[in-house]
Amino acid sequence: MMELKNKEDILEMLEGYGKIVLFGDSGCAQMCDVGGILQLEDMTDFLTDHGKDVLGYVFVEGGLCDEFATKQELENHKEMLEKADAFLVQACGVATQNLTEMIPEKISLPAVDSDFLGTMPERFHHDERCSMCGECVLHLTGGICPITRCAKGLLNGPCGGSMDGMCERDEDTECAWQLIYDRLKEIDKLDNIKRIWEMKDWSKEHGPKTVVHEAKDALFQ
Amino acid sequence: MQTHLSRLLEDDEFVVTAEVGPPHGADEQLLVHRVIQVKDYCDALNLTDNVRGIPTMSSMVCSHFVRDCGVEPVMQMSARDRNRILFESELYGAYALGIRNVCFMTGDHSLLGSHPEAKMVYDLDSIQALQLASHLMSGKDLAGDELEGTPHFYLGATFNPYADPLELQAWRVNKKHEAGARFFQTQAIYGITRFEKFMGCLDVNAIKILVGIIPLKGPRMARFMNRKIPGIKIPESMIQRLVDAGDGLSGNEKRGAVRSEGIRIALETIEKVRAINGVDGVHIMGVGWEESIPTLVEEAGLYPRPKKGE
Ligand code: SF4
Ligand code: SF4
Repeated sequence: MMELKNKEDILEMLEGYGKIVLFGDSGCAQMCDVGGILQLEDMTDFLTDHGKDVLGYVFVEGGLCDEFATKQELENHKEMLEKADAFLVQACGVATQNLTEMIPEKISLPAVDSDFLGTMPERFHHDERCSMCGECVLHLTGGICPITRCAKGLLNGPCGGSMDGMCERDEDTECAWQLIYDRLKEIDKLDNIKRIWEMKDWSKEHGPKTVVHEAKDALFQ
Repeated sequence: MQTHLSRLLEDDEFVVTAEVGPPHGADEQLLVHRVIQVKDYCDALNLTDNVRGIPTMSSMVCSHFVRDCGVEPVMQMSARDRNRILFESELYGAYALGIRNVCFMTGDHSLLGSHPEAKMVYDLDSIQALQLASHLMSGKDLAGDELEGTPHFYLGATFNPYADPLELQAWRVNKKHEAGARFFQTQAIYGITRFEKFMGCLDVNAIKILVGIIPLKGPRMARFMNRKIPGIKIPESMIQRLVDAGDGLSGNEKRGAVRSEGIRIALETIEKVRAINGVDGVHIMGVGWEESIPTLVEEAGLYPRPKKGE
């Protein structure tokens, strides 16, 4: 379950990026009315009105969490993707992190706040990526989730147990804050973690939650 | 807030703090016994807070007993087991009990301890916990409600110069300072090079730094620490020294020789760190070997300690 961030936040995170490619899918993103074809088109209009050059969108049949399907779509849109300054992902935090990992030379930004996870398809191997905390911070961390991937969910990490890139919890777990640091260094955004991150509002995360969709006729009401 | 600890640090006295482990149970006499052993050899005494997620007597309760023994406590608080509500409530209680020095830490992952099934909290991290304590000193709680009695603390935090990435760890020290930490205790220091490099990244004039010292009982303990304690790096050459010291000996003789070598290594470390710009004292952690603390303090020429005046 996810909702679009408000328009000011989206414009703020897109500051400095001219050419944008949008991402959506026919799975959760469409079912939550944030990344279906309709919303991708609404977003295109909205961003164009605000001086952005939207190069187009990539729509994955199924989910952006499906690496295979996503890779195929990326292949189909190779040229457009190469021209982009940033990707705006109208799907969950897993999707944004998937794209960050698949195309690390570009910036993938979350257009939505992921609130909670409904279901997950059975797979042979799953890595946890998003805990649906209701207040996404991936735009500050270079597309790597500290809440889910740091074993302590720290916001001002890394803790004193981080050594040689690995987490103190066990030798097989990468330290998320090392990953975030490396990534932010790469994209020249280390300033994001130099300042103190204030206490998080966990009330947005607490379940149980219910959302009843009403027909929406426009983006951002 | 003026405490004995803060006064000495501000007077540029080379400070000695020590650490005792609270009992793994309800016997406060055990604690008192440990405190009496070390009380004259330190300026303030740290009470650890469920290290590695292994339950011990509450650091607040132990701090209270420590005060009764005539020593100033440093109460440790880990973010692992508390949310902001418990932090607030315990800080009120601690202040009411006369506890003034509080040191915040993230807290080890519970998977490393004896209760891996526990649900960890981490509502706040150590930086945000410092912010919260600083905020309470303004007379209001996080909800903005007026406090019935405002606490005033001398706040501290920890850092580990061996943790990665170095630059980010150094920024965290700045953040902790900005959030209210006035003194810092480091993880146990063995190799000096990395520590010096780390110190070079800090604004050492803005903060007080107590260097962590854990005397090694023997090679087995050293290897265990390297393997099990997050963020500890004991150089192989040091472990070899401990092995060599016991070579050809057995029984009590061997034990004594190895332990003396452990004390020697710790004394050398104290001497080396004393010479580093920005080091304001040492923080000696006995970890089950409290008797080593008086020996170390005396042989390092740091005894007697300044009088504990009010
Ligand atoms: S910050 Fe992490 S947990 Fe929260 S919505 Fe983003 S990816 Fe999910
Ligand atoms: S080592 Fe890294 S990932 Fe592990 S708990 Fe510490 S900051 Fe989080």
